Order: sequence, then C-alpha cells, then structure tokens
Amino acid sequence: MNAAPSSSASETARAVAVECRNCGASMELAASARTAVCPYCALPSVIERPATRDRPRPAYALGFVLSREVARDRVQQWVRSLGFFKPTRLRRASVDDLRAVYLPAYLYSAVARTRFAASIGENYTETETYTVTNDKGETETRTREVTRTEYRPLEGDHATFVADVLVTASKAIDNDELEAAEPFDLRLLRRYEPGLVAGWTAEDPSLTQQQCMALAREEATTKVGASLHAFMPGDSHTGLVHQTALDRESLDLVLVPVWVLALRYAPNAPPLRLLVNGQTGKVAGRAPTDWVRVAIAVIVVLAIVAGIVALATSLSPGSTP
Amino acid sequence: MSACTRCHFALEAEDLRCALCGLGVPHDDGAATATVRAEILRCTECGAAMAYSAQAGAPACAFCGAVTKLEALADPVDQARWKGPFAVDAATARAALTAWLGSRGFFRPSDLASASTVENLKPVWWPAWLFDARAEVHWTADSNAGAGRSAWAPHAGRCVLDFRRVGVSASRGLSDDECRWLLPGYDLATAVAMEQPGAAEPPGAIVERFDTQRSAARRRIAETIEATAAANVAERFVPGGRSRNVKVSVLVDGLSTERCALPAYVLAYRYRNGVYRVVVHGGDAQRVTGDAPLSWVKIAAVVLGAIALLAVVVAVVAASGGR
Ligand SMILES: [Zn+2]
Repeated sequence: MNAAPSSSASETARAVAVECRNCGASMELAASARTAVCPYCALPSVIERPATRDRPRPAYALGFVLSREVARDRVQQWVRSLGFFKPTRLRRASVDDLRAVYLPAYLYSAVARTRFAASIGENYTETETYTVTNDKGETETRTREVTRTEYRPLEGDHATFVADVLVTASKAIDNDELEAAEPFDLRLLRRYEPGLVAGWTAEDPSLTQQQCMALAREEATTKVGASLHAFMPGDSHTGLVHQTALDRESLDLVLVPVWVLALRYAPNAPPLRLLVNGQTGKVAGRAPTDWVRVAIAVIVVLAIVAGIVALATSLSPGSTP
Repeated sequence: MSACTRCHFALEAEDLRCALCGLGVPHDDGAATATVRAEILRCTECGAAMAYSAQAGAPACAFCGAVTKLEALADPVDQARWKGPFAVDAATARAALTAWLGSRGFFRPSDLASASTVENLKPVWWPAWLFDARAEVHWTADSNAGAGRSAWAPHAGRCVLDFRRVGVSASRGLSDDECRWLLPGYDLATAVAMEQPGAAEPPGAIVERFDTQRSAARRRIAETIEATAAANVAERFVPGGRSRNVKVSVLVDGLSTERCALPAYVLAYRYRNGVYRVVVHGGDAQRVTGDAPLSWVKIAAVVLGAIALLAVVVAVVAASGGR
C-alpha cells in the first residue's frame, strides 16, 4: 500500500522512501522530487505529498512542447553563434546531456499602487542672436532658433494590476536564470494534473514561500518602475523616483518546462549552465569571455597601431633618419 | 458565472485565472493527500504505464499509442448572445440613402441622388462587445494650464470613471470608422436574446459571426477601456484648453462584457461607373455613413475661380503700387 514517510513527517523536505505501485520495490525519493522512476521495473511514478505552506501542490503546469532533438538543435545553434571572444572549446562541447525538468515556479499577481515624483522637461524654442565674422572680416549679427527645456516638478500616482510575474521556486535555478529563459506562453497554462509530468523529471519547491514572495515583490516593483517611464508626460524627464505598495497579492505554484544543460568545455573550468525554454526554445546562458583571446586581440591591435605610427613617422618629411 | 474576487471581472466557466488581474480561480480537485504516495498513470486501452508526450501535448501510451485527451485549452470564439432589434425596414433604408445622397454638399455631383441606383441592399447584424466597468484612473498629461516659458506644463491626477454599455466593434465587414459612427445610435436597453424572433426583422438578414478568440477579445476590450479613459481624461479632467501626452493607468473593477449583434443595412449604389458603399443604421435611419463621389468639375471650377480671383487681386495691387 502507500508508503508512509520514512522520516518524520516534518515540514522540511527530507528524503523519503515510497513503494512502487507496480512492483512494490522501495524507491528512495530525492527531497524535492515530484516524479520518480522505479529502479527495478523502470515505470514512471508521479508523487503526491501532503501539501504544506512551503510545498503546496502545483496549481498549474505548462506542458513541454519541444522534443529533446529540437532543444538540442537550439543549443547547437546558440553555441555556434557565439562570438570570437568566447572560448572555442564551447563550440566543440557535447550538448547531448540535456535534461528535461519541470521547474517549480510561482506565478504572482497583485495590485500595485505607486507614488512617483519626477522632473518633467517641456521643450520650447527661443530665438538667439549671435555674431559671426564674415568673409570680409566684418562682424555680423545673426539669429537662430534653439530648443531649450524647462523642467517642472511633477508628483502623482499610478495604479495597475501586475499579473504574470513568474519567479523561481527552486534553489537550483536562480531567478535571473529563469527570467532569461522567459517568457512562457501562459495561454497554454493548464491545471496541474499528474498526466502532464508523468515520465519526466518534475520538482517540488526547494525555496520557501517567503523567499519566493520576496523575489516576486522585487520583480513586480521593477516591472512597475520600468513602465513608469512611459507614463511620464513632457518631452523628457529626469530624476524619476517611485514608491510602490503591493496589495491583494496572490501566489500560485506552477510547473514550467525547461531543458537544462551543464556544458563541460574545459577540465579546469566550471561547466556553463544553459536553460532552454521547453515551450519556445529560447536559450539562456552567459558564456564566459576567453580573456586569452581578448589579450591576443588587444596585442595584435596595439602592434598594428604601433606599426602604422612607426611607418608614418619614418615617412614624414620632417623626421630625421 | 462567477466573478473574480479581486477585480470582480466576470469569469467564464473555463477560466483558470482572471484574464484581467491574473488572480487564480480557486479549484479543488480532491487530490489532497495525507501521506506521500507514488501514482502510476495507466493507459485505459492496454494498461501500460503512460508518460506525457511533448509531441502530443498530452499523456500518451508508448505501447499502443493511445493518447489521453486533456481538458481542452479554453480559448473559444464566443458568439453573440444578444441582438439589437431592427427598427428600420428596407424601404426606409433606401429612402435614407437617397436623402443622404441629396445632402452631401456642394462638392458632390448635383445629380448624385437622382442618378444613383441601389445595386445591393443587405440587412446585417454586425458583432460587437459591450462592456460595463468602473475604473480608477490615474493620469498624467501636458496642458497649457500653468505653462511657463514652454507652451506646456505637466499635470497629474486621479478620477473614477463609470463605463456603461460601451461598444467595441468585432466586425471585419464594417470598418472601425463605420462602427464608431453607428454605435452611439443603438438603444441597447431593447436588446433581446439571440434566439428570440424579432418583430420587424427584415428577411434574409446576415449574422456576421465573431471570429476573435476570447483572449484576443479581452485584450481588445482592455485596450478600448484604456483608450476611452484617456479620451475622457483629456476632455474632462486635464486643466486648461489644450492637452497632449495624456497617459492613463487604469485599475478596472467589475468589468462585465456582453456579445451583441447590432442591426444595420449595407447598401451598394452605382453612380456613373463607380460603385460606392453606404451603411444605414438598423435602429435609426438618420444615421448613415459611407462613400460618395466628388464632383471634380466643381472642384476644378472652384480652384480656377480662386486662381482667377488671386490674379485679379495681384494685378490691382501691382497697378496701384506702380502709380
Ligand atoms: Zn481579477
């Protein structure tokens, strides 16, 4: 029958063992696993746990759209398009070790009320007189139109719904990494059901809800702040400051599809981690810069410049050999 | 139909989240568990274990190929539930066209009304969304009020707007301009359910179908709310006589939308070698909009007349100056 948790059923995520429904073998579950494969009969299981505050049952899931082959092609394209200053070995690294993961993330929404202050620039034109010396050496007074800006202080409020803020709930993938692989097409959001993740790796949150809430608030505030620039009147503005209060917040756990790849390209360098959006194929990752190549390029450029200078000096009539 | 608990948007049965504010719709599928359990998904056809397939977008059986149908993603094309009744019959619509042609002004051909023949007259119901909402609007704008050296000074403010029965066209057959002209003329209090037979319905009226998915429709409505709010703010709330850069942030509360079919006549008339289109309102024959040819002879005559006048003036000025 159903296995009881082997550890005390405390709130913390600790490894537990469950029984395979097919062959009865005991499966050791990783702390944040939502799916498992029986080591004896190889059948895929989906795990249901008692929901807790930090590990609620997912409300939604976005299904994988891309197959492994397509995801691998996207990574290969990405690697091939790397610039000259990226390590050449990256281009030769094996991209076969792609892993599909349903990553836990929180979908956050709230009412954002913002108080802002800025200095609004309003342009006007002025006729300016100036003097020039003409061909005959006489001083002449002329006029021209110049655009000037008058700055006026403005304070006001802005209120909007912020929806579709997605933040990571996994310790393994930080929020910037996830953001680089976004956007996901949330129109394809489905209610979570085991059939969406069966046979794939799916994880439960490993960050606490409080941590995720903090990430979400930060992202929402940033989002509002970015949209404020378009809200300002005038021809230009400077010194925009704002204070945003988030109200009536909601947080829903959603599983999002990503392909993860640790690209090993040098024995002494840490592997480069890439994230591929399992829906759109967008590749996210920051390739390191090959400083040796940069140094060589700088030296070559300096050498060429020095050569040209030397040549110019030797050819110039005033120089003494 | 339920409403979103945060913004009171009227939700459809299939909605997972509020389309307006993003709040999740609570749902209990009874999957709560007290212990850790491992579940294997079995194929209903052959009993083998199933796994999600990215190709199928659903769980599929690797052995017999059966695919479990997931609940369809709900983004349907919704059809009209209400219709505005026809109050104008075909003969009145024709008469309205003739009257309209006769009042097109000086630059139209003099025989426009008498020499035009109606080639086609079609009663149609064109699709539109109607919405009610209350919106808390914060705005910024430049206006001439309080202007200093520049002609413009910045302003900001807040207002609450109530939208009642605001129409948004969903028609592909009629242009946005035509719809904007027609919309205010409908008495929407008299709208009836689509199935209900209308008293004065002309025979053969075509119902133009909505062909926009629900998500796109909602986006369009949201854009209209914002545009309408901005127009309202510019007209009623920004101080001064002139404004520019009117920006709004809109917090909508209690948005509800209805899909309506609105009556109109689409007429085509021929004048000489051209065919022109005119739309006559189905509820108010005084509302007519459409194309009419220009009289190039009259325009040329006026231009020549103006040039001649100018030449005379120049000649007089030159003559008096030369004296
Ligand atoms: Zn809502």
